[in-house]
Amino acid sequence: MSAVVGPGAVRSGRVAAAGTLARALPVSIPIGGGKGGVGKTFLVANLATSLARAGHRVVAVDADLEGANLHTCVGVPDPGPSLADFVAGRVNDVASLLVDTPIPNLRILAATHGHFDHAQPGHSERVRLMRQLRELDADFVLLDLGAGTHPAVLDYFMIGEAGIVVITPEPTSLENAYSFLRAAFYRRLQLAMLSHRVRDVVTLAMDERNERGIRTPFDLLREVRALDPAEGARFVDTMRAFRPRLVVNEARTAEDVKLGFSVRSVCRKVFGIEAEYLGYVNHDEAARHSVRSRRPVVEAYPRSDAAIYLERVARKLVEGLVRPGASREAAP
Amino acid sequence: MKPLSEQSHYEVLEVPRDCGPDGIERAYRLVLATYGEDSLASYSVVREADAAAIRERVETAYRVLSDEEARRSYDVGLAGDHAVSEAPEPAEAPLLRSLPTAGGVEPFEDLEEGGEYDGARLRRARLRRGIEFEEIARKTKLNASYLGFLEEERYADLPPRVYVRGFVMAFAACLGLDPVAVAASYMRRYDAEQPRQRRRFSRGT
Repeated sequence: MSAVVGPGAVRSGRVAAAGTLARALPVSIPIGGGKGGVGKTFLVANLATSLARAGHRVVAVDADLEGANLHTCVGVPDPGPSLADFVAGRVNDVASLLVDTPIPNLRILAATHGHFDHAQPGHSERVRLMRQLRELDADFVLLDLGAGTHPAVLDYFMIGEAGIVVITPEPTSLENAYSFLRAAFYRRLQLAMLSHRVRDVVTLAMDERNERGIRTPFDLLREVRALDPAEGARFVDTMRAFRPRLVVNEARTAEDVKLGFSVRSVCRKVFGIEAEYLGYVNHDEAARHSVRSRRPVVEAYPRSDAAIYLERVARKLVEGLVRPGASREAAP
Repeated sequence: MKPLSEQSHYEVLEVPRDCGPDGIERAYRLVLATYGEDSLASYSVVREADAAAIRERVETAYRVLSDEEARRSYDVGLAGDHAVSEAPEPAEAPLLRSLPTAGGVEPFEDLEEGGEYDGARLRRARLRRGIEFEEIARKTKLNASYLGFLEEERYADLPPRVYVRGFVMAFAACLGLDPVAVAASYMRRYDAEQPRQRRRFSRGT
């Protein structure tokens, strides 16, 4: 993980990026989950606010161009400039689109007023967007991803190694989360593999009903190894570097809390992917009230259960980034 | 990143090599539930035949690791195997090292040092440890609905004060908290709030 440093070090520029003494790059944290309505925007708004309140300089990016509402959750009724201006080619510099929020240290890149017909940027625009996001003057850049497994969503998820997948204790959420994890991993593989033949097999595996019967990354690894042992080794490296984090939202029972551990086990045993269970947020009426009042719950109701759990997730996130692997030592 | 057939019993149960008997027990129950027939976590990605194979493997691992003597002799064999099989692939080491830290069912470190113990905090402590009311009820012989009233601070629905204190102590002990400190804190709040609830109650009837 590059630029994984204490935010204090980020601000003082003590940590050099790419061997220079230039300003260190922000830590990018994409937040996805496959299914709509599981609380991605809620989590982005609240984690961003928690980090900002702890003194970090944070940018929250609404990458959900077809369902933008992050701005509302952080109390910005009409952000004005938006990512849509970048997609439409009206603005070239993403940094000029950042808007202040009522929360000190927190700025947003909104996604309002998008084009109904072609909301998503094309591939080369996406690459340019992500490059600029990675160079923003901030400690943390959080991305709110849309639902589904559109290539744009998968690309945004790759912006950082520390992507978060939000799940709720419902079958629909889990089905979509697993599809999302698999798709994100395969997308990463497509870019990492060098041989055309191997890339073709990866593309084949992305079709869940493929004729070779490749169902899991484990099956795919077997195929790749048989084709080309060197690519097999690259595959394993890619697999190891992919370390998604899980957050269970809307937990009501102890069973729901344990779900994060179970999903982690399935990721490990079935997909060969080491996921990390970052924590859970319990079901809390305060969360609903906060959305209605268009303020993050950690700010509007800091003593509520939901706020306490969210603050804990934010702390574990920072701990894990300062000392990679540290947050894996203690379970949620 | 090894297929199940090549995993050690520790890897199958996803516990570190030095895991104690309680940890083995909890991990066993968790993994078994994860691959159970109605499991929310696995039904959509694991076929029943594969889940059954995993469960069988988990049972074998548990049988060995939960038996002190069997575990000792297994460990001896494992030490020998590792010397041979791990040497050619040093790249495997970081992953193996990361596994023991991912034991999984240990509670959060208590991040709420200080402050009072109210119902909400008891609830948080309970959820964090993944414990249902029924489990506490079984251990303490307390009625599960009273445990809910303690968390919700529905004092009027609880029996007299002297019982409440005992309930809180038993509840706290089940969560691994200091019963005396928790009860003292909880009862301070009870003493301040309970007369008010009683007044509201009597006005309302």
